[in-house]
Amino acid sequence: MATTIVSHINTQRSEDTPVKVSVFMLAVLCLLVEANNAGALDHDNLDPNRPIAIEDAYVIPKGEIGVEGGLTFNDRKEGKSRFGFQPQIIYGAFDNTQIEIMSGLVTEPSTVDGDDKSGDLSVAALYNFNTETVRVPAFAARVEVGFPTGVGSKGIDTELTGVMTRSFGRWRTHLNAGYTFLGSPQQNERSGTYRMVAAVSYPLGYPMSFTDTIIVNAFTRQSDLKGQTNPTGVGVGLRHQVSSRVVFDAGVGTEFLGPPDRSIFFSTIGLSLGF
Amino acid sequence: MEKRMTSVTLKHSIRTSAILAIALVALTSFGCAQFEQRDKRFYYRALWNFALRENLKELDIEFNGVDFGHSNLYEHLLLTRGKDVPAIEETARKETLRFIATRPTLNPNEEAIAPTYMKLAWKAQNTFDEAHALHRATYDIYVSDLHDKDAALRKVLVFYRDSAYAITSKHLDHRRLDQLPYSKTFRQKYPLFNATIWAYHYLQVVVYDALAAAKDLPAKQKAVEPILATYHRYLEQPPVQWTFMPMTGELSPQFARDYPEIANIFDNLHMMHDTISDILATDLLPTWEEKRKEIYRITQSYYWASADASNPFVIHGDDDRVPHQHPAQ
Repeated sequence: MATTIVSHINTQRSEDTPVKVSVFMLAVLCLLVEANNAGALDHDNLDPNRPIAIEDAYVIPKGEIGVEGGLTFNDRKEGKSRFGFQPQIIYGAFDNTQIEIMSGLVTEPSTVDGDDKSGDLSVAALYNFNTETVRVPAFAARVEVGFPTGVGSKGIDTELTGVMTRSFGRWRTHLNAGYTFLGSPQQNERSGTYRMVAAVSYPLGYPMSFTDTIIVNAFTRQSDLKGQTNPTGVGVGLRHQVSSRVVFDAGVGTEFLGPPDRSIFFSTIGLSLGF
Repeated sequence: MEKRMTSVTLKHSIRTSAILAIALVALTSFGCAQFEQRDKRFYYRALWNFALRENLKELDIEFNGVDFGHSNLYEHLLLTRGKDVPAIEETARKETLRFIATRPTLNPNEEAIAPTYMKLAWKAQNTFDEAHALHRATYDIYVSDLHDKDAALRKVLVFYRDSAYAITSKHLDHRRLDQLPYSKTFRQKYPLFNATIWAYHYLQVVVYDALAAAKDLPAKQKAVEPILATYHRYLEQPPVQWTFMPMTGELSPQFARDYPEIANIFDNLHMMHDTISDILATDLLPTWEEKRKEIYRITQSYYWASADASNPFVIHGDDDRVPHQHPAQ
C-alpha cells in the first residue's frame, strides 16, 4: 500500500521485470508530454512521493484527472540497492475530494516487510475541509485502503492521515500525521505503525517566475518490524512546471536513523500529467 | 483468526477516525467564522483547451502577464493598507510591467503572488478564477479550428453558469455600482495603476471581434498585432484620461450582440475587480476584517448570479444600456 512516507518504498526489493515495466511507463509518460505541450497541474499542489513524502491539505480541482509516476532508487546501509516505480491516478471526483488509485513496484519484492508490498493496489480518498484563511490553517483527512495484490501480501491494510497546511507569506508549512493498521501482520511485523512528516515548501522565482517549488521535509515513522528503531530522515525536492498540464519532479534524501537496512540515500524523479 | 484480526483493525480504524474528527473540530472551532470551503473546479475539458497557447502565443503571453497584475496589486494594497502611494504606483506597478516584459509562456500561480489576499477573501478569488477560466475558454474557442464555435461558446457558458461562484450574466448598472461610499478611491489615489488595470481590461475584451473577423490563423495573428501595439502603448503611458473601465459592448460590439450574457459576465467581472480595488484602498474600512466582510457582501449580493432575484443593480431590458464615457481605440 502506497503511503506518505518514502521510506516505506525503501523497505522493498525486486527483480528485472518491474524495472522494464518502469522504463516502459516512463516512456509512455514522455510521449504524453510531447503530445500535450500546452498545458493545468499545479506545481504548488503537493502529492505524496512527488517527489518527497508530504501531502498538502489541498486537493486537485473537481473534475481534473492526474496521472503521476516516478522512478525511485534506494541505496541501503545493509542489503542491495533497489529500484522502484510508483504509478498513481488521481481524480477530483467530488467537491473538495480527490480519489487516488496507486501501486508500487520494486526490485526484490519477496523480502519486503510492512504494509507496502510490491504490487499492492491501493485506493485512497483525500478530503479538504477548508481553505486557509487569515486565522485558520487548511485541514484535510486521507483514508487509504491497501489490497493484498502484491508479492507476499496478506490482509487489507488501512491508513488514516490528518493533514494541515499553514502559510507564512510565501512559505507554506505542512504537517502529516498518520496511522496504518495492518490487516494481517506477518511474523515479526507490527500490527500498526504511526508516522509523522513535516515539510516546508516555497515557490522559487517571485516576482519574475512561477514555475518552480522547492520542498524540504523531515520524517519519522515506527519501524515495520518489532524491536527496531524508527526510520527517521530528511528529504529535499523540486517540482517544476513544464507546461500547463505537466509537472516534472526530482528529490533526494536520507534516513539518518533507523534499522540496519535503512536508506542512506534515496532519490526520485517523476512526472505528473493533469487533464 | 484472520477475520478476528480484520474486525479488531476495523474497530481501531473507527476509533482513530473518531479521535481525529474530534481533534479537528476542536482545532477549528475557534475560527468557525472563517472556516470556508475551497471549491476549486476544473475547467471545461474539450479539444479546444489551450488552443490560444498553441496557436496564438503572442496573445497568450500577454494574458499570462495580466494574471499577475491584479493579484500583485491586491497583495500590495492589503499589506500597505492602501496608504503607501509609491509602493503601489511605483513598486507594484513596475513589478507588474517587469513581469509582463518577461513574456511568460505559462500563467503564474496567483496564490504565490498574493498569499495574504487569498487567505483574506478566497470566495472572491475563486469567483475571479472561474470567470477567468471562462475568458480563457472563449479565447481558445475563437482561435481553434472548430467549425461550430457558437455551440462551443454556449456549452462553456452553461458550464460556467452551473457554478455557485458564477458572476451574474445580467446587465448590471455599473454607474450606480460606482457610487458606493468608497467607489473611485482606487483610481483617485492610484491613477497610474488604475489605468494600467483598465489597459488589461481593454486587451481582454477588444480581441473578440478582431479574432472573429479574421478567417484563418495567419489572419488572426495579423489582426492582434495592432491591438498588442496599442496595449503596450497603454502600459507605457497609462490612459489616465479614461473615466471608466473599457466595456465589451464598446470594444467588441459584435461579440456583445451575439453573446450578451458572456459580455455581461466579463463587464461585471471587471467592475468587481474595480470595486474590490476600492475596498482595499479605502480608509472607510480600516481593518482587514472589515474589508473582508465588505468584499464578501458585494460579491454575494451584487455580483453572484445566485443573487439575481434580489440584486438591486440588475437592469431589466437592453434599453437601459447607456454607453460609458470611454474613448474606444
